[in-house]
Amino acid sequence: MLFSEQIFDTFVGDDDPPYESLPADTPNASLDVIVQKARALYPGQIITSVNQDDDEPAVLVSMAPSWQALKDDENYPDRHSGHWIKFDARTAKVLKQSRPADAPKEPRTWTGIILGTCTRLHMNLFAGLPGAMFMGAMGGAFVASLVSGTVLYGRFMKRLPFGSVRTDRASRLTWLDLHNLLGAATLVWATVVGFTGLVNELQTPLFGLWRVTDVRQILKPYANLPVPSQDHLSSVQAAFDTAAKAAPGNEVTGLSFPGASFGSPVHYVLWTRGATPLRARLFTPVLVDARTGELTGAYPMPWYLRFLEISRPLHFGDYGGMPLKILWALLDVVVIFVLVSGLVLWAGKRKIATDARLRALGYELDDADGTAPAGFALTPVEGVR
Amino acid sequence: MNTVSPDMPVPSSPDVTPRPSVAVWPWPIALGLLTIFGLLSALLGQHGVWLALSWAALSIPLIVTVACLIRAWCRTPSVKGGQS
Repeated sequence: MLFSEQIFDTFVGDDDPPYESLPADTPNASLDVIVQKARALYPGQIITSVNQDDDEPAVLVSMAPSWQALKDDENYPDRHSGHWIKFDARTAKVLKQSRPADAPKEPRTWTGIILGTCTRLHMNLFAGLPGAMFMGAMGGAFVASLVSGTVLYGRFMKRLPFGSVRTDRASRLTWLDLHNLLGAATLVWATVVGFTGLVNELQTPLFGLWRVTDVRQILKPYANLPVPSQDHLSSVQAAFDTAAKAAPGNEVTGLSFPGASFGSPVHYVLWTRGATPLRARLFTPVLVDARTGELTGAYPMPWYLRFLEISRPLHFGDYGGMPLKILWALLDVVVIFVLVSGLVLWAGKRKIATDARLRALGYELDDADGTAPAGFALTPVEGVR
Repeated sequence: MNTVSPDMPVPSSPDVTPRPSVAVWPWPIALGLLTIFGLLSALLGQHGVWLALSWAALSIPLIVTVACLIRAWCRTPSVKGGQS
């Protein structure tokens, strides 16, 4: 997953038509023009969202027969009534369109299948929200194991200088020393990745929390209004400009039309994000009344979602160029070895524990498994003697 | 059945003759701080020298690990496997 971008570029490639080469300072076409063109291509359909591409001069317009059709899609996994059109942001020419729903399915590439399977396994074991919660619990167990491992490290290393690996004695000691050395070297990294992974798995409930608290409060006055027809909405370009003014220091990345499931029936929801690298992950939605074009307000995310967004890259390791990705992969390998050596030690301990128990049968029963309180354990000892 | 004599070493018993204890934490703490610095410098700096510093800081724990491993296996060559 770490290298998915590179893997896709190598094995799948990009079949989009190239962009026209225009002078770098060519102004963008008005979004109103692009929206008009999209409507003309699919008369009678609604536009659901308008998004500007992050690093290409493109505008993506998403459309659907109706909001109801989109909602019905949720009950039919193979129905996709939504589709999109990609425009050149400067010339407002159509670059590409999504495949029509009734077209034969695009053959899936092996790379896509493998990567998709890995991603879903890693995120939720193909089990949706319960799977994500389970993986989150696993992340919590992982962090807990790191804490307990740190405590044990302090006890085991009291008489050993850092990094000593005893190779001349029992192989169990070698495993133990390797486990301690590699674990101590990668402890902080593993904790950060484990904890941020746990936070990532909580994203659905956290966004849900925001929706039922703050967002519901904001939208309450409008909740029962009817969705106006899209012929009578205010200018999309003006809404982008209004949002840019309402969230200074942010750039506007996209707009959802009134009626979207998460939004208000009468507002454009404009998505803005910080312009500096650190703040680029902090989204601030801006509401613009689509009937009048007036600003309703800008609503920064609550602290827990800010924390989630900031912590994301610390889990993925994709924020510092290729060398960081390679380091990430190496650290992954080391932590996997810590896991394996831990399993070896655990399996060995079970063997030793059994031997010790057999040898000590009738002698030291409180060592057996600790279920019986020491006081009671003494009685059979005396009896055997 | 009294096969185990009372003075047989029990795994959890503390050492009777304490050898001089070693400072346990300086190395792990130093490597941990380097890791934190490496993770944050790339996250907050995002370009140029901060990225390079991040790569350097994050490779040090790995380099230290490899150095320890090499040292351990060079000091006792081919002794490994005395007992399994």
